[in-house]
Amino acid sequence: MKSKKESYSITIGWLYPELMSTYGDRGNILVLEKRCAMRGIGCKIMPIDFQADEKDIEKIDMVFGGGAQDRQQGILIDDLRKRKGPVLGRLLHNNIPGLFVCGSPQLLGSFYMTGDGKKLEGLGLFDMESRHFGNDKPRCIGNMVIFISDAYKVDDLTYKNTVVGFENHGGRTYLGDGLKPFGTVLVGNGNNGEDKTEGAVYKNWIATYSHGPLLAKNPHIADFLIAKALEIKYRKVIKLSKLDDTLMWKAHDVMLGRLGV
Amino acid sequence: MNTVQYFIAVAIGIFVSRIARVFGYGAGSTWPGELALRVYPKILQQLKKRVTKGIIYVAGTNGKTTTSLMISGILKNSGGTVLHNTSGANLLNGVVSSFFNLWRKTDWAVFEIDENSLPTLLRYIHPDVLVLMNLFRDQLDRYGEVDAIASSWRTTLTTLSDTTTIVANGDDPMIAAVTESLKARVVYIGLEDPKYYLPKMQHATDSIYCPKCGTRLTYGGVYFSHLGKWACGSCGFTHPDILLTAASYTSPLEGVYNIYNTLAAAAVGEVLKIDVGLIQKSFDAFHPAFGRMEEVLYHGVFIRVLLSKNPTGFNESLRTVLASDKKGPMMIVLNDRIPDGTDVSWIWDVDFEQLKNYPFTLMISGCRTYDMAVRMGYAIDDKKTHMEHDENLESAIEKIVHKANDGETVWILATYSAMLDVRKIITGKKIL
Repeated sequence: MKSKKESYSITIGWLYPELMSTYGDRGNILVLEKRCAMRGIGCKIMPIDFQADEKDIEKIDMVFGGGAQDRQQGILIDDLRKRKGPVLGRLLHNNIPGLFVCGSPQLLGSFYMTGDGKKLEGLGLFDMESRHFGNDKPRCIGNMVIFISDAYKVDDLTYKNTVVGFENHGGRTYLGDGLKPFGTVLVGNGNNGEDKTEGAVYKNWIATYSHGPLLAKNPHIADFLIAKALEIKYRKVIKLSKLDDTLMWKAHDVMLGRLGV
Repeated sequence: MNTVQYFIAVAIGIFVSRIARVFGYGAGSTWPGELALRVYPKILQQLKKRVTKGIIYVAGTNGKTTTSLMISGILKNSGGTVLHNTSGANLLNGVVSSFFNLWRKTDWAVFEIDENSLPTLLRYIHPDVLVLMNLFRDQLDRYGEVDAIASSWRTTLTTLSDTTTIVANGDDPMIAAVTESLKARVVYIGLEDPKYYLPKMQHATDSIYCPKCGTRLTYGGVYFSHLGKWACGSCGFTHPDILLTAASYTSPLEGVYNIYNTLAAAAVGEVLKIDVGLIQKSFDAFHPAFGRMEEVLYHGVFIRVLLSKNPTGFNESLRTVLASDKKGPMMIVLNDRIPDGTDVSWIWDVDFEQLKNYPFTLMISGCRTYDMAVRMGYAIDDKKTHMEHDENLESAIEKIVHKANDGETVWILATYSAMLDVRKIITGKKIL
């Protein structure tokens, strides 16, 4: 009997989809889902919300977090810290990949100091802290380009050392000594507008201030996450087929051109 | 009042307004007011005396222009003269500018008001009727978060007295919360008809958690976004009683959102004691504004342009196109200029998946053609739906018009500045 071609599948856990999806953050999920589907890889989306069972969260192959407005963050923060924190920590240490965009990176760090001096404790998974210096300090808003190393390269797939995104944040983030940034700012503010760092990476979790559909114009990062999820789940490297990404790279390059990179 | 300053400000306003008109400058709807305000910041407190019967403000994320136009229609039909600001010129300077086109007095003034400008404009004028349509996420880079707008509205609304009547959308939980227990009189509109319920909740919702206690609201049904028959099971905050429902008046335009516009305008008419029959008659004679369902004949093909500037507006535009008996190719034009918002992330909150098997050509254009084409590429089944893109708007329009067969209508869904560009090309007119 001829052996059937092995079929792969992953489950992506999405942190509080109703509360942490401020402005197009869902795009990342849509991109990951379809890029899996086009390759015949099964992709299930599991909301990590108030009802989510810890045992189910334990089994996911990728974590995604978007941004929350202040009120929404207030609604979920206790549940996130107390009921999700430990299991998320285990996923991180088991090398399960993750993507955190917009305001969600602030939740990963040790604390977030609000504009009126209130200290909100984070999950403490990343050695970093965030501060808001009050509304008289301008928000960081605009298109952003960062330079990344080859660390996210997937064999045979098209790769670029740039990531284009859009940032919109009032807080500033400072990384601890041991924590690596996601990239170096070429255009925009990044973590704090001072040290040229943008985002943070620990194990296979990527955190970035870029909000919204980061993966839409950065197919290389989408494929890095998919490849990592498969590698960790099946304990071997699984080759990803090449997709027609002409439009995605064109959108990427048009933005680089506009910003003079 | 400083009389000298006031007269200089008015003279400057009128002068700039004339110049703008004579030379056809597009900025004629904001600059006269802007300059007059610099000379005399409190000018609106004097100008408002030129309105004899009443002032109406219309605010909210979506539906301002159509609702204002409907209210003007009702008031004109009742025999009154009406002053209104130019669509889109809805900040303080736009409202002030509108007075410089007024030679004598006017019975009524109907102003559409930008969400962020409402508190400022309420400081100068306590309107006779204030319409609050809805609050949706819109241009985060410019407006900030929905909750922040709601809380600034709430603070200002508490200053209104019972000389103001608020017409509020009771289907929007956030609007219901900001209008609760005020000194001003409040009447609510709502659809109250399960026929318009969506089969499932859309992704683009902003206020589905109780604005008062933070518990997830329960819905008997959702009309779109977070509008629906809602209730909080925890603190008991519930949908208010409704004065006018979908059954009360017939909307002259397709689209569920236009039922809200119709009901809001009708409620204003009723508050102002205008005859119910006359209100419906003015709806029947209603002609929509450009980009709000107006139909234009271009090179022998009917084109309908729908302004679609935020996730909820876009979702409702798509729903309207798909439900319409006018079928044909569709073009989507995405710009990222200041009036559109420079951040186009929001297109991922729109359920373009509705177009998965769209049987006509889809054309993509605008400053952000590629971002939009990527979004659409991830939404459709490319074996069933044909998509093209062209950054040049003019040639994109030519192409899509050629795709239309006999009897087909071309639909164009465009962001704000894109809509103006489209208008210029297909009607030859520049200014709004």
